[in-house]
Amino acid sequence: MIVFNKVNKYFGDFHVLKDIDLTITKGEVVVVIGPSGSGKSTLLRCINHLETISDGSLTVNDIPVNDKKTDINKLRRNIGMVFQHFHLYPHKTVLENIILAPMKVLGKSEAEAKETAKKYLEKVGILEKADSYPSQLSGGQQQRVAIARGLAMSPEIMLFDEPTSALDPEMIGEVLDVMKTLAHEGMTMVVVTHEMGFAKEVADRIVFMDEGRVLEESKPSEFYENPREERAKLFLSRILNH
Amino acid sequence: MDFARVWAYSDMIIEGLQVTMLASVIALLASLFFGTLVAVMRISPFKSLNWLGSAYVEFFRNIPLLLIILSVFFIFTPKGWIAGTIGLTIYTTAFIAEAIRAGIQSIPKGQMEAARSTGLTYGQAMILIILPQAIKVVIPPLGNQFLNLVKNSSLLAMVAGGDLMYQADLISSITFKTMDTYVFIAGFYLILTIPLSFLVKYLEKRFALSG
Ligand SMILES: Nc1ncnc2c1ncn2[C@@H]1O[C@H](COP(=O)(O)OP(=O)(O)OP(=O)(O)O)[C@@H](O)[C@H]1O
Ligand SMILES: [Mg+2]
Repeated sequence: MIVFNKVNKYFGDFHVLKDIDLTITKGEVVVVIGPSGSGKSTLLRCINHLETISDGSLTVNDIPVNDKKTDINKLRRNIGMVFQHFHLYPHKTVLENIILAPMKVLGKSEAEAKETAKKYLEKVGILEKADSYPSQLSGGQQQRVAIARGLAMSPEIMLFDEPTSALDPEMIGEVLDVMKTLAHEGMTMVVVTHEMGFAKEVADRIVFMDEGRVLEESKPSEFYENPREERAKLFLSRILNH
Repeated sequence: MDFARVWAYSDMIIEGLQVTMLASVIALLASLFFGTLVAVMRISPFKSLNWLGSAYVEFFRNIPLLLIILSVFFIFTPKGWIAGTIGLTIYTTAFIAEAIRAGIQSIPKGQMEAARSTGLTYGQAMILIILPQAIKVVIPPLGNQFLNLVKNSSLLAMVAGGDLMYQADLISSITFKTMDTYVFIAGFYLILTIPLSFLVKYLEKRFALSG
């Protein structure tokens, strides 16, 4: 469903992604981990074309992401994205945040969009906050709204870039629970996160990145108990001991 | 001071006041529109539009307003108040574009990215997400621009624009009460600008409150 083939990406002279080969199939949950600056966010952001790849090929549902002929807005409808810092629209209520794209992009009526929005708000457990503004919500609640906003477009793929790392510890669980539910329902997910519990429970595969390369791909149980790569061992010992 | 002598020409003053107000409001609305356009050009992902926007701002911000008004007057229209209003618009657009650009750029990049990643086009994201937030930041500098605009409109007098200053020139040449006339007319400018100052302060407060 998502296929990276010899993908390279440069920021000026800086080589961020090096010869990435990666295939993610429908319904798969892939967790991407690696040290800071290893290119995890960039990898994720290439998938929905927030970043442009420099060479190689990247396709989503067999559609080349970087082809000039590809309607990128159409492609993005199918790919939800959740950011570390939520990026909710502060001037709109929770409900307005969620119905905006379904109305403007999919052309749904307001009534229809609201109904769907409420369904997803219920799913993420904060229907009662529908008319609040983002600034009135806790971090965990904001992130759940952001997930609902992504889901409201009924995407086939959801991308998560460190969705819990800006949250207070007591709020991490509520967000991970929502993500676990999604994973169990068969959503295709690419998640950058260091939450080992989440990865062990729902990930089909761990992708370990370092200095722009995918160094290791393995099942979570194998990866955490017995990483093949030295760098992965070193990295795990660091995140486990802090 | 003999203001009664000046007020004898009240019909001219009232007419001048109307022209000044009309020219200011038209120029404001037009330069808000064009200023937003130029601002969006300057930050758009298209290099040629960036260049065009910057060229506009740098050119018109850095030449005297009087020169712009005279050029419009001699090249395009001999109607003084129209030439003046167009000149004011051209000039103020450059300043408003800068204020709006700064406002837009003060909105975190993640807002645009979040909007685009739901499939909104650049234009939709700009109009629905970025500009409504930028407005709050932009209100104070825009208010200042509008105040400047009202005062700058006195240059209409130079092309016989029929505005308040033009009438003042006429009245003083009829009455020879130069000082009295200009002090009296200054009062009328204050009547226009002081409420405006308060309006700007009020808007600032209101926008600050709404999240
Ligand atoms: N727009 C950009 N321009 C230049 N360099 C960038 C840009 N974005 C990222 N980089 C650089 O590319 C490298 C990889 O960044 P990226 O954000 O993908 O890393 P990451 O693995 O997500 O790190 P973190 O765990 O800190 O989020 C970093 O060294 C970063 O400084
Ligand atoms: Mg990152």
